[in-house]
Amino acid sequence: MSSRPSAFDALMSGARAAAAKKKAQPSSSPKKRKSPDSKPSQNPDSATVLETEAKGQENGDAAGNAVACKEVAALPAAKKVCVSASAQERTAQLKSKIAQLKRKAGDFDPKLIDCLKEGEKVPFLFLCLAFDLIANETGRIVITDIVCNTLRTVMHTTPDDLAAVVYLSANRIAPAHEGLELGIGDASIIKALAEACGGTEKQVKNKYQVLGDLGLVAKASRSSQTMMRKPDPLTVTKVFDTFCLIAKESGKDSLEKKKNHIKALLVAATDCEPQYLIRLLQAKLRIGLAEQTLLAALGQAAVYSEKHSNPPPKVQSPLEEAVKIVKQVYSVLPVYDKIIPALLSDGVWNLPKTCNFTPGVPVGPMLAKPTKGVSEIVQRFQDTEYTCEYKYDGERAQIHYLEDGSVEIYSRNAERNTGKFPDVVAVVSRLKKSSVNSFVLDCELVAYDREKQKILPFQILSTRARKNVVMSDIKVDVCIYGFDMLYLNGRPLLQEELKVRRECLYESFEEEAGFFLFATAITSNDIEEIQKFLDASVDASCEGLIIKTLNKDATYEPSKRSLNWLKLKKDYLDSIGDSLDLVPIAAFHGRGKRTGVYGAFLLACYDNNNEEFQSICKIGTGFSEAMLEERSASLRSKVIPKPKSYYRYAETISPDVWFEPTEVWEVKAADLTISPVHRAATGIIDPDKGISLRFPRLVRVREDKTPEQASSSEQVADMYTAQSHNHSNNQDDNEDD
Amino acid sequence: MLELRLVQGSLLKKVMEALKDLVNDANFDCSATGFSLQAMDSSHVALVALLLRSEGFEHYRCDRNLSMGMNLGNMSKMLKCAGNDDIITIKADDGSDTVTFMFESPTQDKIADFEMKLMDIDSEHLGIPEAEYHAIVRMPSAEFARICKDLSSIGDTVVISVTKEGVKFSTRGDIGTANIVCRQNTTVDKPEEATIIEMNEPVSLTFALRYMNSFTKATPLSNTVTISLSSELPVVVEYKIAEMGYVRFYLAPKIEEDEDETK
Repeated sequence: MSSRPSAFDALMSGARAAAAKKKAQPSSSPKKRKSPDSKPSQNPDSATVLETEAKGQENGDAAGNAVACKEVAALPAAKKVCVSASAQERTAQLKSKIAQLKRKAGDFDPKLIDCLKEGEKVPFLFLCLAFDLIANETGRIVITDIVCNTLRTVMHTTPDDLAAVVYLSANRIAPAHEGLELGIGDASIIKALAEACGGTEKQVKNKYQVLGDLGLVAKASRSSQTMMRKPDPLTVTKVFDTFCLIAKESGKDSLEKKKNHIKALLVAATDCEPQYLIRLLQAKLRIGLAEQTLLAALGQAAVYSEKHSNPPPKVQSPLEEAVKIVKQVYSVLPVYDKIIPALLSDGVWNLPKTCNFTPGVPVGPMLAKPTKGVSEIVQRFQDTEYTCEYKYDGERAQIHYLEDGSVEIYSRNAERNTGKFPDVVAVVSRLKKSSVNSFVLDCELVAYDREKQKILPFQILSTRARKNVVMSDIKVDVCIYGFDMLYLNGRPLLQEELKVRRECLYESFEEEAGFFLFATAITSNDIEEIQKFLDASVDASCEGLIIKTLNKDATYEPSKRSLNWLKLKKDYLDSIGDSLDLVPIAAFHGRGKRTGVYGAFLLACYDNNNEEFQSICKIGTGFSEAMLEERSASLRSKVIPKPKSYYRYAETISPDVWFEPTEVWEVKAADLTISPVHRAATGIIDPDKGISLRFPRLVRVREDKTPEQASSSEQVADMYTAQSHNHSNNQDDNEDD
Repeated sequence: MLELRLVQGSLLKKVMEALKDLVNDANFDCSATGFSLQAMDSSHVALVALLLRSEGFEHYRCDRNLSMGMNLGNMSKMLKCAGNDDIITIKADDGSDTVTFMFESPTQDKIADFEMKLMDIDSEHLGIPEAEYHAIVRMPSAEFARICKDLSSIGDTVVISVTKEGVKFSTRGDIGTANIVCRQNTTVDKPEEATIIEMNEPVSLTFALRYMNSFTKATPLSNTVTISLSSELPVVVEYKIAEMGYVRFYLAPKIEEDEDETK
């Protein structure tokens, strides 16, 4: 797409130039609904008029002005020359200036990028070139400088575009809780690419396999299709608005409409734009720009271009302070649409006042650091008061109850889950005390068997329908285990100590077994007591314990994995003791970093009775780069055109290549679970479902074993039954049946 | 104030069917001389120009030039509600953000009003120069539609070459190749069945069949189609609308591809 011929521009522009001249004489200008300067002619007749006039103009020097023509067509012809700059010149200008962004933030002045005029819509190319700079850097400080300078330039020229720039840099289109996603698969992008450059899907796919990144494919695609006219250069707002449109398309033909939007963007993209356009669409920007870095850059940029207020006098280092403020504000209100206007209008120092925790906007849940044993905990929390709570194995949820009585449930990733849990909505409304008129509750939703009064494993919970659940159809009941309170009756509690927050929690709800319970907790600092409590938690089908400070450093830190919360999981203590020896039978082509090697392998165990290999899991972790290369190379020679008749796997897996069974790999995993996809030990534990591994990772290659000596299906089944929580649940179920 | 009364309402329905697959949104321009539209598809590869001259309407009133942005899909939905014999009147007030379609049954016993919201569309008007074309082919429109449909089952692109022999449409796909030659033929009973080839220079151009097939949606508008070709210029596929104007499709050619599929 780098060079897209548009042979007609010269010809067409000749006509447009003529139109411009014609319009220069003020005649009765046609009525326009839109911006007055946009159109050379709306008179439907003009085309016919032009046809005669244009003949003399065709070969004219107007060719160079092709692009500018549209903007200036309404102006007198004389002015045209000075305004016009061809697209190529503009690209070159931007490119020559872009390196300035790499200057230290202190030495940079937005005026250095003088080819951007104040008030002009920020060209998408500018952002893409900045992305390019970032992608070529690895140091976080340099990247922060580049982003900071980019944002400052935008603040200086067109502050209105700042939100769009930030959203695109964060590779988002809306705050997570709005659930707005582009929803575009690779297949749609491949189609759009093929149509935009006049090739076939097959050609695009072949290139994809070689390059491993659709963005690079887009950049490398040379168009074989000419155009009627090169579209106007993309602007940041145009791209962002189109993304929003794409995300909002739904219903019939929405895929087709999305594809057309993508095509329209692709044909207008030049230089390195297609590459980043595609990556943004895939939501895989991958230039090493973490959101935290973006926030830091935003804070710094705000200080440099501060016009509104000076930093409070006592602040030593305004830059660091501003970064802290922006990060803090974003953690309690992760909505750029609110933060950026506030930042621009009232300045960074007023940000904590203008942007605060708002019920209805979920914050990232506070996370816990893993620990290895009880002794580590006692050591770490020596002098502080702390509490231990059961770590329930369910879904983390943040329940927002607003003053108007509406309830929203948000997942760990701030997705709106209200439609999935209508029963939870009913329960919290029923069991809150009457004095409570608004709250935000942090809790775990756990599958629960109300008849037998016991907790069911996570796998049962995940069988619930995901959308538009009707109360009467609910087969898996859930119990809410509340453990934290972020907001109560109009008062944010984030800055309060856990002790206070927990008091608020206990005072706000009635417990009811099987519906709403407070997380079981003890406050102790005796190793043995904690150890017992841990065992008790595992017996109660929990994952382990969460240990939290009560008084000191006990505020709620949204989306932080802080040391104030520690988790102690049974997995860490004794992950399934034995490793398994499994056979790679198929693989998937690698993408991105893993282009050219296999990205993931399908592993199988061996069923001695039926003499077949049964798929057990996909594996992609535990490989060093060298190891992956080595394995890929050795297996590449074992590729077979189709799976062996004695492979058992689900059709849905559809790997890219199949292998002869030759190698045996030692694999460790966190857990064994029932899987509808994999086939290991089918018929032993469950009549039609197999067993799979959770979080498998490669330990080493077993040179000493042949594929037939791999772990057998019976072994896998035994290991599954040996897991304690399955013992207590499924085993009982089987006996009951 | 705008009021256009078209006795053959079905004509407008056919026009919409011809355009709506190619273009989603477009500005309709009304002036004293006629009702017209010009728009490009989202990839900027094809351009469509529609003209309905004022003389073709039974009643044509357009006080001021007006440009109305419409979503063609929505417009087509509304026009589908009109009967084939209905008289259609397009009405709009100055500065209003809606347009009204009025459908009257021929016996005047049923009158329906449909009001549609207009939209702001950023599009520009290209001047289209009249070029000297190397070759102009006039043939029955149904025949052309058939050829495009048949070829698209075999390949993605069509090579249209005009020589002294006639006009040749050819394609190549995974399953094989296809060539269709149409010779000049003027000895027919009805003039619209004739195939007439005017050639100054031989010409051969490649086009995406996808677009050609979407152009042939205009077939019901006219018995004949005129294809004008010049090397390195967009092809013009024109369907004349009797006594009123035309729908013209412009399509940018493809560049001869290197054989990179074979690699």
